[in-house]
Amino acid sequence: MKSSFKGYFAAALLAAAVPNLASAQTATVKLGQIEAQTGPNAIYGYMSSQGVPIAVDEVNKAGGFKVGDTTYKLELIALDTRGDPKEATIQLKKLLEQDKVKFVFGPFLSNVFVTIYPYAKQFNGKFLMLGGGTRIHEYVGQPGNEFVIRTWNWDAGPKGFGEKMVDYLVKTAHPKKVAMLFQNDSGGKVLGDTYEPIFKARGIETMTEYFEPGTKDFSPVLAKIAEFHPDYLFPGYSDAALYDIVRQSIEGNYSKKFFLVRGSTGPGMKNKDGLEDYIVYVPKDFEEAEKKEPKVKHFVDAYKAFYKRDFPYDQAPLCSSSCYDHVYMLIAAMQKAGTVDDVEKIRTTLLSMTYEGMWKISFDDHNEQVFDFDIVHLKKGGVKEVTHVEP
Amino acid sequence: MTQVVVGQILNGIILGSLYGIIALGVTMTFGITGIVNFALGQFMMIGAYATWYFTDLAMLPFPVAVVLAVALAAVAGLIADQALFRFTRNNLVNGLLVSIGLISVMESGALLLFTTTPKNMDIVIAGSWSLGAITLPRMKVVAFLLLVAVIGLTWLGLSRAWLGRATRAYAQNPEAAMLMGVPTKLLQTGVVVYSCALAGFGGALYASLFSLEPSLGGLFILKGVEAAILAGVGNLLGALAGGVILGVTESVGSLYLPSAFRDAYGLVFLVAILLFRPAGLFGSQK
Repeated sequence: MKSSFKGYFAAALLAAAVPNLASAQTATVKLGQIEAQTGPNAIYGYMSSQGVPIAVDEVNKAGGFKVGDTTYKLELIALDTRGDPKEATIQLKKLLEQDKVKFVFGPFLSNVFVTIYPYAKQFNGKFLMLGGGTRIHEYVGQPGNEFVIRTWNWDAGPKGFGEKMVDYLVKTAHPKKVAMLFQNDSGGKVLGDTYEPIFKARGIETMTEYFEPGTKDFSPVLAKIAEFHPDYLFPGYSDAALYDIVRQSIEGNYSKKFFLVRGSTGPGMKNKDGLEDYIVYVPKDFEEAEKKEPKVKHFVDAYKAFYKRDFPYDQAPLCSSSCYDHVYMLIAAMQKAGTVDDVEKIRTTLLSMTYEGMWKISFDDHNEQVFDFDIVHLKKGGVKEVTHVEP
Repeated sequence: MTQVVVGQILNGIILGSLYGIIALGVTMTFGITGIVNFALGQFMMIGAYATWYFTDLAMLPFPVAVVLAVALAAVAGLIADQALFRFTRNNLVNGLLVSIGLISVMESGALLLFTTTPKNMDIVIAGSWSLGAITLPRMKVVAFLLLVAVIGLTWLGLSRAWLGRATRAYAQNPEAAMLMGVPTKLLQTGVVVYSCALAGFGGALYASLFSLEPSLGGLFILKGVEAAILAGVGNLLGALAGGVILGVTESVGSLYLPSAFRDAYGLVFLVAILLFRPAGLFGSQK
């Protein structure tokens, strides 16, 4: 008798707890992320996948966010694509079909986006993808592709950061010849196709060479480029290659002047004594910004506390930070739209608003992000000049 | 243009010696244990990261860092041998599967420890030597000399010392070597450990030339296997020659043909050679 009473009591407790559990589940917004956290091209994905967990942690520790009368917490499902498009397709399928995720961050790699695109398109209107990949530019803003928003400045066009970068180069260095050296893949080809006309429009002669992914010894291609006698070498696009290109170019006496629109200040700082000029696009020069901007200071401190390591100033905290902003930007859009489920309403709200986080983020007619950035100009010995640009 | 070509031939020779040291490890391990240790690239990665760590973070002098890195790679090789490879002796498929599994484990471990952010070691020997239009970074030349010296000493050791002769005897006829009192188990373990140490040494010099990522071993083991096959598996000095031929083919090929397909030039050359000499350039045709 005593034991059956205990059984009833336990059952009653369980019954009382179940509705609470159910309501706790409904008050969660799932965020997915598909980025290359590992692998040879992981620099962008790895860095961007660090920003989102910090924001999610902050939001949840603050008790969540309110939309209407309901308080929501965030659940992040971050998956490592390793830069493998097939892996990414399986992961996206899991996120959309099993986990029922409606908001996906990533990918930053073009080859990954191009492969997952046909599958992702089937879910148009049912989820939002916030990806930074260069080739997303070709798809975003087209009818039937409303699911994707590109979270990065585009290079060309009136507000294009690449145009502003080349203008800066022309203004400060008056180059006649520029040699471009990119990885032989989707991202590299797009860069070549995009920048040739930009340079040509300014009367600059170009030469373009592509290297095999995973290349470590760049001497042959640099020797070939040196025959062209370029004023600037414009290499891309990830630090994994840039460290070697910059060092070998300086050591082999091929070129000591560099112009970059992808990558970080790291390769320049590492070779600061040998280079003559290193002009690089960075979304934000964190070293300077953290002294002046409280939001940046907060992020740097949060990063150090969350990961228990130093902030990677020389790397691409750029991506991690922009994804950090994107979490808050998405929440702001949900709150303004008054829903966490109506993807179309949230998308429309997002595209029409301006979010002021670490960056001032808005979107152009093409559904691509427009945000302020810095041009870092390193000179021999590491002397640094920073120019802030508002597109 | 002639000077550019000469410069790239020299560059190819230097790079090829790095392929050669991995090829030497591949050819020795295969000859004695009957397995192709594809994880040698990861032992190279251990050597590279260890050198970077000891030099840039622990602030030890480069030569000390190299010695420690080689020792670490050797210890890792000993652990791998005793825990895994000794159960796969003379079983090509099992050995291959174990080494492939080991690649995943070691690469994941490196990712966990060092992340994908490239590590770029401080320059050990700065500057270049120039001869006309040919410029060669000093560190590259020093690395080449060290690699050739180690490969040469290995060859000398194997052809002159008792242990080396025992090793070669075992490779030619294991049963006869055993009957002559060659400690076969110890020999097999020794060869695995030594080839891992060689890979670690290659990695230590790699760290002084190129940036480091956890996946660096994958590319170099492929080149090492290519070089070993090109030379003819089992030929020790041929391993160096195979590496050098591969390096020169890639470097000069990239000058005249698109750099985007650099790896293919070495492979095409390898296939062409194997068509005429199936046992490799220096391998026995019998």
